Amino acid sequence: MLTVVKQGWSTFKSIFTGMGITIRHFFGPSVTLQYPDEKMELPENSRAKLYVNIDDCIGCFLCARACPVNCIDIETAPATADVDLGKTSTGNPKRFWLTRFDIDMAKCMYCDLCVHPCPTNCIYMVPDYEYSEFDRSNLIYSFSNLVPEQVADVKEKAEAEAEEKKRQREEMQKAKAEAARKKKEMEAKKEEERSEKDGKEKGRAPSKPENDGGE
Amino acid sequence: MIELISDTGERREMTINMGPQHPSTHGVLRLELVLDGEIIKKVKPHIGYLHRCFEKYAEEVGDYAKVIPYTDRMDYVSAMNQEHGYVLALERMLELELPERVEHIRVIVAEMQRIASHLLGIGAFGLDLGAFSPFLYLFTEREKILDIFEKISGARLLYNYMAVGGLMRDVHPEFKTDVAEFVKTFRPKIKELDDLLSYNRIFIKRTANVGVLPVEVALNYAASGPVLRGSGMKWDLRRNDPYSIYDRFEFDIPVGEGEMGTLGDCWDRYIVRVREMEQSLRIIEQALDSMPDEGDVMQAIPKRIRMKEGEVYVRTESPRGELGYFIASNNSASPHRVKARAPSFVHLCLLPAISKGSLIADMVAIVGSIDIVLGEVDR
Ligand code: SF4
Ligand code: SF4
Repeated sequence: MLTVVKQGWSTFKSIFTGMGITIRHFFGPSVTLQYPDEKMELPENSRAKLYVNIDDCIGCFLCARACPVNCIDIETAPATADVDLGKTSTGNPKRFWLTRFDIDMAKCMYCDLCVHPCPTNCIYMVPDYEYSEFDRSNLIYSFSNLVPEQVADVKEKAEAEAEEKKRQREEMQKAKAEAARKKKEMEAKKEEERSEKDGKEKGRAPSKPENDGGE
Repeated sequence: MIELISDTGERREMTINMGPQHPSTHGVLRLELVLDGEIIKKVKPHIGYLHRCFEKYAEEVGDYAKVIPYTDRMDYVSAMNQEHGYVLALERMLELELPERVEHIRVIVAEMQRIASHLLGIGAFGLDLGAFSPFLYLFTEREKILDIFEKISGARLLYNYMAVGGLMRDVHPEFKTDVAEFVKTFRPKIKELDDLLSYNRIFIKRTANVGVLPVEVALNYAASGPVLRGSGMKWDLRRNDPYSIYDRFEFDIPVGEGEMGTLGDCWDRYIVRVREMEQSLRIIEQALDSMPDEGDVMQAIPKRIRMKEGEVYVRTESPRGELGYFIASNNSASPHRVKARAPSFVHLCLLPAISKGSLIADMVAIVGSIDIVLGEVDR
């Protein structure tokens, strides 16, 4: 009998404590936001979307290499000797055209690993989170500021220069090889002459045109 | 599949599936239940719906640091603790000395994460048993923790905040006041939770004497964390095998005492989590007091991780229990082998042992009380 009364009392009490707390919360301040109308201010360093300041990118591929899911796709073409791409705002000289700089935000997992290795701090996260799309391919963001014609142009130029350089290098190599051959011939001639002289002095022909170091 | 009564009228067993889309399985877990009426005769957990090849990936990725975001995704409810375990293992291998500030920030965020994880665990547990309001109120508190984490790391759930030898970024200048503020406002909420849920008659009726886990069984299954402590065993790796700087702090290890029923029942496991949150608050306060204000959190980060050949096993106390990382290195850029000892997996193995003979309605309470995260079970 006593236990029944006790349990009844505790049930009664729990109901009223629970109700009390609920009512207190009901009249307390609201903790939710009516989203599309009100928006929460994200902290400025929050990781919501990647942004690349392409003017500062030197095309070093460090970010692409740091990415665990390979969602950064970079293609570069070396700048030819007649153009000067200038410097980044951090003072690093730019040597590459960025013919492609695509980031697939559908693949990205917002891990921030690509942000830290960048030498010019030009890839970073921005607190912009409202960019959902109906088509997944729209989530591939292209940051390269070259139009396709320019891309083709710089690629062609770079290729031409590479060809040119290769040709020059080959020529140089050929010239070098030629010079080396001539030198060798000369040396061989001298060697012969000397050994002939040696042979005359010692009265016998040397078995090898080699100089015996020990004398 | 459903044959209740055979032609001759004798009783037959019934096999039903609970999950993978059952709301109270905390993820995608399928439980195959063999029932006799309402009584559970046999339980067979089927896992693997969330398998993402974590261990294989870690071997293939080509960099130790690239694994850290994936450890976040193992137990997405307590990502900081997962990272902590992994980076500690690597640091022990590299024999790195860490700056004081880094250690303190790590402990603070790990304890905050423990509170956040318990808040979710408790809230979802109550929700499974029909208590809806506590869930909402606890989530309000959890949100405050996530807000602080968002300020320090930039992300709300999967932080990738700890790096080998330091932290990815320094905390914001008001970090200390923010955390102190949270600690101050959160204390009374635990009292409120006690009133609202812990000592609620209906809740006690649903959880006391349900899913009793005797301590011998728990030890035989290698249970750890709140599940083991709920059975009355004082075992906490922060105290028994201190890592980081936990040996400097004073805190108690709450254990289950069988207050409302048998020792090791669902209520005991639940109340251990509630009391652990108080202890975490104590640790946070002490760490805030001794945390240096100045210091570079990135100074000890090695430029490239060059690992010697060897193996290491480091265990840490995650909110769910003993989280161990075994890492073998063979001198190359990526680990030769990474094995994670996930507490949720071990506790899921316990499920058949403790749910035999209980009612099917109590199954929900039992699954909730062991507080598993399927991401960690399947990895
Ligand atoms: S945030 Fe992570 S996943 Fe996304 S592009 Fe950078 S490295 Fe890759
Ligand atoms: S790391 Fe920075 S500079 Fe290098 S390619 Fe990436 S964005 Fe450009």
